[in-house]
Formats: sequence, C-alpha cells, structure tokens
Amino acid sequence: MAFFHRLQDSAFTDWFLGSDSIWTYPTVLTLHTVGMAILVGASFVINLRILQVAGTIPLARLQPLYRFVWIGFTVNLLSGLVLFITEAADRAVDPVFYVKICSIVVALAFGAIVKRRAIDRAAIQQVPSARSRLLAAASLALWTVAIVSGRLMAYLKH
Amino acid sequence: MAEFAAWVESTAVSKALFGMSWLWPLCESLHFIGLCMLIGGAGLLDLRLMGMFRGLPIRHVKALMPWAVAGFAINATTGALFLLMQPHLYLSSAVWWSKVAFIVIAGANALFFETRLAIPALAMDPDADTSAGMKLVGALSLFSWFAVLYCGRMLPYLGTGN
Repeated sequence: MAFFHRLQDSAFTDWFLGSDSIWTYPTVLTLHTVGMAILVGASFVINLRILQVAGTIPLARLQPLYRFVWIGFTVNLLSGLVLFITEAADRAVDPVFYVKICSIVVALAFGAIVKRRAIDRAAIQQVPSARSRLLAAASLALWTVAIVSGRLMAYLKH
Repeated sequence: MAEFAAWVESTAVSKALFGMSWLWPLCESLHFIGLCMLIGGAGLLDLRLMGMFRGLPIRHVKALMPWAVAGFAINATTGALFLLMQPHLYLSSAVWWSKVAFIVIAGANALFFETRLAIPALAMDPDADTSAGMKLVGALSLFSWFAVLYCGRMLPYLGTGN
C-alpha cells in the first residue's frame, strides 16, 4: 500500500495531472479510448460472428482481426498502466477497478478459448458449437461490464 | 447560439434530466458501448475496402452494418441527451462543432459508398483487390470515425485556453 501511495504522490503524477499540456493526461486518456475502440470493436465483431450474426462470414477469414485485438490491448495495457500509477492508492482500494480488471482478464481468456475452438478449426466446422457460442456471449457481456465499470471509475475518484 | 443554449438550459426538460445524477454516467457508458459497435462493424468493412482481409466477401461483411448503425443510433441518442443537459458546454465548443463536421463527412462518405460503389463492391470476387475509389472511401471512413472519437474525448481539454 505504501508503494501505491508513493506512485500516486510522485513527482511524475504531479507533472502528469498538473500539466496544462494536452499531451499528458488528456492524450493518454484518449489513447485509452482509441485502444478500447480497436480491442472491444474487434472482439464484438468476432463474438457476434460466433453467435451467427453475419453468419456467412467465413470464420477462418477473421483471423487477421486478432492482430487488432492485440494492438488495442497493448495500447490499453500501456496507457492503463500510466493512468493507474497516477491514482494507484485510490484504485488499489476501489472495488470497481477490480471488477474492471477481472472482467477484462476473463473476457480475454474466453476469447482465447473461442479462437482455439471456433476460429482456428474453422475449416472443419463452419457453425460454432454451443459451448463456443456460450463463451462468445459471456465474452460480449464481460467487455460490456469492463466498459461500464471503467466509465464509473471516473465518478468514484477521491 | 449562446441565447439558444441559455433557452435550452432554462427548459424544464433540460433541468429535470440534468437533475438525475445517474443519467449522465449511464449515457456515457452507453456512448462508449455504441462507439465500439460502430467502429467494430464499420471498421471491418472499411479495412476490407482498403484492401485488407482478402478472401472476406464484402457482401458478407455488410451484414454487420445493422450493428454499426445501431451503435450510431445509441450514440446519437445519448449525444442528444448530453446536449440537452449541458447545451453551453457543446454549442460554444469549436471541438464539438468539429466533431459534428466529422460525423457529417463520415455520413456523406457512407452515402456515397451506398449510392455509387456498393453494387460493384458487393459483386466483387472475395479475393479481388479493391479499386482506388473504394480504398479512398474506406480510409476516409476510418479516419473520420476516429476523428469523431478524438474530438469527443478531447472536448473537455482542447480549446480551453491552455
């Protein structure tokens, strides 16, 4: 906990949040939104297709979308780390933050299982199994939870 | 414009909506979800028009468009509520007007695609490369939607005199 307080009260935090420049907090916050659009946008499309929306799209052809999932995730992991540092002590005791992180971890894990079961083996099976569809539906719901909890965190600042 | 904003703000409906403290965060959450639906669905078609995702038939990707349109509808509705609750904040902001301009550009671009390019695009061989015009339309669409996002997210920070 002392470590989180040191991060939150650091000179970096003062500069990052106190600066008048748009290139500090506003830009990192915007990058976090851009990354979300790419990561969740691509995940929505994949999961919707698993749920047979736009069901004629050949499953295997969605494979390049995972590159965008990773780009979006990397952008948000990095921008998220910077944002976390500046409010580390507050977030470490914020249950909504843990809801957000857990929902992202589980959504990614479900996404990885769906990829292995439905996308990588698409040549064998064009219609995803009931299990894959269930995981895709859960993944969609979890991304939604992640977005809502992320948004609500702004209202629970100290 | 300032008088108009003042009038909107003085109406009972604006006051009542702004008085519901839960409405603003709810609309923000929906605005972010709508954004992911819009950029996810439209973005894949844009990338395909730009020549990526060969082998993905354009007519099949187009089946995602109702989701993109639904995302846009969610965002237009929640956006209208933001405007109704805080008219001064938006109407006096050049960044907000830029956002509106990029929405108009993205809309006109989509309309151009639908009326001029959709028929040849839908009939294309799944593995075929797209025309220069299709690449341009795809790139302009993707750029415009991210510009809309940028203006919206940066609105509180840009043009504040800093």
